[in-house]
Amino acid sequence: MAGLSIRDARKSFGDTEVLKGVSIDVADGEFAVIVGPSGCGKSTLLRSVAGLEELTAGSIHIGERDVTALQPSERGIAMVFQSYALYPHLTVRENMAFGLKIAKAGKAAIDAAVQRAAGILNIETLLERKPAALSGGQRQRVAIGRAIVRQPQIFLFDEPLSNLDADLRVRMRYEFANLHRQLGTTTLYVTHDQVEAMTLADRIIVLRDGRIEQVGTPRELYEHPANIFVAQFLGTPRMNIMAAVVADGGQATLADGRRIALPPLATPLTPGTALSVGIRPEDVAIGEAPDALPFTVTFIERLGGLATVHLTARDGDEPIACQLRDDGSLDEGDGVPVSLPADRLHLFGADGLAIAKKTRE
Amino acid sequence: MMLRRWSVTLLAALVALVTIAPLLWMLSVSFMARGEAAQFPPPLWPASPTLENYHLLFGTFGVGRFLLNSILISTLATALALLFTIPAGYAFAKLRFQGRDAIFRMLVAALVVPGQIGMLPLFLELKAMGLVNSYAGALVPWLAGIFGIFLVRQYCLSIPDEMLEAARIDGASEGQILRRIVLPILTPIIVTLALFVFLGSWNDFMWPLIILADQDLYTLPVALAANSRQNVQDYEIMMAGAVVTTLPVLILFLALQRYYLSGLLTGSVKG
Repeated sequence: MAGLSIRDARKSFGDTEVLKGVSIDVADGEFAVIVGPSGCGKSTLLRSVAGLEELTAGSIHIGERDVTALQPSERGIAMVFQSYALYPHLTVRENMAFGLKIAKAGKAAIDAAVQRAAGILNIETLLERKPAALSGGQRQRVAIGRAIVRQPQIFLFDEPLSNLDADLRVRMRYEFANLHRQLGTTTLYVTHDQVEAMTLADRIIVLRDGRIEQVGTPRELYEHPANIFVAQFLGTPRMNIMAAVVADGGQATLADGRRIALPPLATPLTPGTALSVGIRPEDVAIGEAPDALPFTVTFIERLGGLATVHLTARDGDEPIACQLRDDGSLDEGDGVPVSLPADRLHLFGADGLAIAKKTRE
Repeated sequence: MMLRRWSVTLLAALVALVTIAPLLWMLSVSFMARGEAAQFPPPLWPASPTLENYHLLFGTFGVGRFLLNSILISTLATALALLFTIPAGYAFAKLRFQGRDAIFRMLVAALVVPGQIGMLPLFLELKAMGLVNSYAGALVPWLAGIFGIFLVRQYCLSIPDEMLEAARIDGASEGQILRRIVLPILTPIIVTLALFVFLGSWNDFMWPLIILADQDLYTLPVALAANSRQNVQDYEIMMAGAVVTTLPVLILFLALQRYYLSGLLTGSVKG
């Protein structure tokens, strides 16, 4: 097994630069998830690691080896594709054995490897079937099995769950986590689904427009997003962002003229500075409190246990979302007191970058 | 509802009957005694069925030789056509190389030029190469049919790139990918294409007539046409000859029907 190191990877298709200098280090045995909106270059990056795309500039190391110029099969990687890409005319067993057969491995070795992978994935009973006779989840398992059989140093996953229905996606997510615990193989996983990223990753790499926005553990990224993009990309419903201007007395004035308290900052801001104030929906509190402001409920999304309540202070304002346990007491049109706790606020400058809060001593 | 279904079945049966009637009559006449079919009105069934026409055909006229010529040329034409068109179609669909799309557009544009226009230049070319009056000369037009390349390419486009990439990651060379992944997937279209080429070359009349001078090299249609000039009134022998010409391809067609139909339907049914 080995770690992965990508140095200043650049990739252009014609005049379009898709990767604009991406450097990533994935430690041995780590589960790293690359997440970003479509078109951010995440799949291109993964395919470059696989050797299916040639980098315009930069290098890729797997373990100590420079694999930048190597063929896909020589890199010690295995890839699971979004469409599974199973060979339709071969049985599950033949699908999984294909790589070893090409490599002219002995029959006994092939059988052992296939049996082992099938055992790990609980697909022993499917070995003689053709892909057409499998369900989506089973195909997904076979695709993973084919990857396991190769005994790669690195697993590459390209949006492997996006073809599955919601139910199965949750189960497969759980299985991916389990599988990684069991095999301990370094994994690079690409998805546009932030829930997958949050639940699976040891470390998340947020990519946008071919550049890395932030790298960190799911917790770090959620608690301390480096900029507005990361803050809004992770978490559903997404973080509320309100325009504000710094006022005196550690306060800020919202667009509607009302004042809220700011958290203590590492370096105080001069009054009059424009900034964006962010707060996660679950941190917005409804109920009487000394600093509560009156808001009106404009819309309630009831999800059963939880509800997302959309609140506005004035007509025409962008509503802020509040997530809470739904006890059925609220109705659309109700006026409610809402507080935005200062210690739960995220502050961003005009450039979109996070403004450092004072760390507690 | 019931009535509608019955009327559709009836209509289909009627069309089928109209289509198959000449073939059946051909078969029937081939067993009639000489001159029997020339009566008016022509009889539907032979009064006393006889194999005389077939004896004459294979004995005096030596149709066996022409049958073998036809089988040889059509089989070789099919094999060669598949050998060249499949890799070409695959390459046009899935491999990246300079000028790929420009070359393909040129080929497709050439489809609109009727084959007859190319016959004279081709003949002169082959003459210069010394291939006139040989099996090789008769095979040349079938080597790499543009339509075949087009057919294979269109079908190859439906093969997901990811599947080929998976094979590449599995360590397969381009040749292995073609042999072990692409060919099996292409089976229906290969059978269809093989049938097209075999039927086309089997029924081809014009080109063998032009390129083959030696009677011994004649294919069935050419030989029968030459024969008909002498025996134009002998419906019975002509029909026996027609049976000999039709039967092999008919059997081939029926045997491969399952693949052939699935080949024609792919793309429309498969998601």
